[in-house]
Amino acid sequence: MTTATRGGLIEVTNLTKHFGTVQAVRGLSFSVTPGRITGFLGPNGAGKTTTLRMLLGLVNPTGGTATLYGQKYAELPNPNKMVGAVLEATSFHPSRRARSHLQMIAIAGGIDPRRCDEMLALVGLSEAARRRVGGFSLGMRQRLQLASALLGDPGVLILDEPANGLDPQGIAWLRDFMRHLAGEGRTVLISSHLLAEMAQTVDDVVILSHGELRAQGPLASLVAQARPAMRARTPEPERLMAVLQRAGLPFARESVDVVRVDGVTPEQIGPMLAQHQIVLYELVRDATNLESLFLSLTETGGAVPSSPPTPTAPRWAPPTAAPPAPPPAAAPPPAAAPPPTAAPPAPPPAAAPPPSAAPPAAGGPS
Amino acid sequence: MIRTIRSELYKFRTTPGPWVVLLVTFALTALTILTAFAAAAPPGHSFGTPSTPQQLRDLMGAGYFAALLMAPIMGVICITAEYRHQVITTTLLVTPRRTHVLLAKAVASIAWGIGLCVASLMMVGAMGIPWLVTSGGSASAMLHQVGAVVPGLFGDYALLALFGLGIGVLVRNQIAGVLMTLVLSLILEPILVAIAVHILHYNFNWLPSDAAASLAGGLSRAMGGGQGGRGNAGITLLAWWSGGLVLLAWGVIPAAVGYLTSFRRDVT
Repeated sequence: MTTATRGGLIEVTNLTKHFGTVQAVRGLSFSVTPGRITGFLGPNGAGKTTTLRMLLGLVNPTGGTATLYGQKYAELPNPNKMVGAVLEATSFHPSRRARSHLQMIAIAGGIDPRRCDEMLALVGLSEAARRRVGGFSLGMRQRLQLASALLGDPGVLILDEPANGLDPQGIAWLRDFMRHLAGEGRTVLISSHLLAEMAQTVDDVVILSHGELRAQGPLASLVAQARPAMRARTPEPERLMAVLQRAGLPFARESVDVVRVDGVTPEQIGPMLAQHQIVLYELVRDATNLESLFLSLTETGGAVPSSPPTPTAPRWAPPTAAPPAPPPAAAPPPAAAPPPTAAPPAPPPAAAPPPSAAPPAAGGPS
Repeated sequence: MIRTIRSELYKFRTTPGPWVVLLVTFALTALTILTAFAAAAPPGHSFGTPSTPQQLRDLMGAGYFAALLMAPIMGVICITAEYRHQVITTTLLVTPRRTHVLLAKAVASIAWGIGLCVASLMMVGAMGIPWLVTSGGSASAMLHQVGAVVPGLFGDYALLALFGLGIGVLVRNQIAGVLMTLVLSLILEPILVAIAVHILHYNFNWLPSDAAASLAGGLSRAMGGGQGGRGNAGITLLAWWSGGLVLLAWGVIPAAVGYLTSFRRDVT
């Protein structure tokens, strides 16, 4: 597989779609830059899927434009080698075998048929290659869709709710895999209706509600707008509360060993706790406020100022993986990821777990 | 474009539907061969020996009845299976130019139609000719009809498959598409022709079945021979080339209308 940086810019300008009297998308404009994972967020019915389908030429816009690499999808010289898309886990003939489904795409897209086996191995479906898709579980179908999308080794990936049907291990694998692909310079756009799920994955967000843009920019800027809070689990809650009281920080004891501290960041509280040598079992960012902000954006129609994506901005580290201090050092380096489309790489080292080569082996239909 | 055609042919191979249609074509052709021998039976006998040019022509073109039913179904399946299972999304992502997709499907449908014709001729060769020879008939007399029947029969299968594709593009729904082709061929056409001929005294000879009979050298419209090629339900068939042009129109017009209306619609 070639690993050149070759992601393309996705640009949506004043995009509008009416289905009869229903306005599914209204004057939507945003852009998605290569080398970053962009979350396309909004509640069910916000217009995410319609927008993605317009981007991919499946739905004709009522107005506006949607381009990839500066061109409409239908005008791309070889779309299957430039854009990979996962739209739904139902686009399969149930009687066709998994390998044949990929072969069908490979023939039409002028792709080396050996890629079919490589992609099946990558997504952990080698054992099921000769099984009919009708007997697949939702998670297996989702993986097969992902294999289809990656078949042409595209520079742009568009994934509509890709975690649907995946088990927690599969979701973790997908997250790391997306991180690796973005690290190669590809453009990754993932839609979801769950911010909490995406907060661990994306660099930038585009938030949509009722067909209109509510916010766009780096996730960090959205996080900054949410009132920060931390939740600490400790065997010394009394000592911790005393320290917090002396520092004048608002806090609340949530259970026997959990204390919630409002208005602080990991960078602020981490050194303080280290200085007082308070034993911690866990120190995590409280996502409740971020989720509340997301809900206020998507439910009330409120809007926050959009800011352009900043590719040079520091990557956001998953809060649950970060020790108290210093947070930036806790982020697993994207460079540690294995090549996504080559033969399955070696197992991850034990110290700093990079993305695994493939998700857990496919099971039977569930 | 070539890649898209190859992919469409591959799709046919990797689902059971077309193979079932192929098996039914074998079976229907075998049944038609039986009726061709039954139509030639002298009074008091079940089977006879086809000997007149029309009887031999009907035996040679025993695949005609299967062409009327199975070739359109093949065309319907080619497109409606995509909508039924939403594979159309994958297809249009790989080949976003819908004209290319439809043309590739037309070529694939015609190719499989020709395959069905080969199957029907194989059945004639394996069952009809040995039976004719063992019952005292003349194989060489029958083979004299090859030029009049076989090229047209290939045309029938190809154009009727195209007709089915057009119906499928128009209606998108697989069950509705299959039912439409069957009802048209088995119910609607005979009724319309009967009304036209007996009540309106109009030589209604340009519906798909009679156009196909014309193209294949004037085959009998009814299974088992009926009154012979020039007297199907009391109508006079078109010349073979006129029948071919009419059948071409039946093949192309529904597909073109379907493309302009249904096929360009949003895929949601």
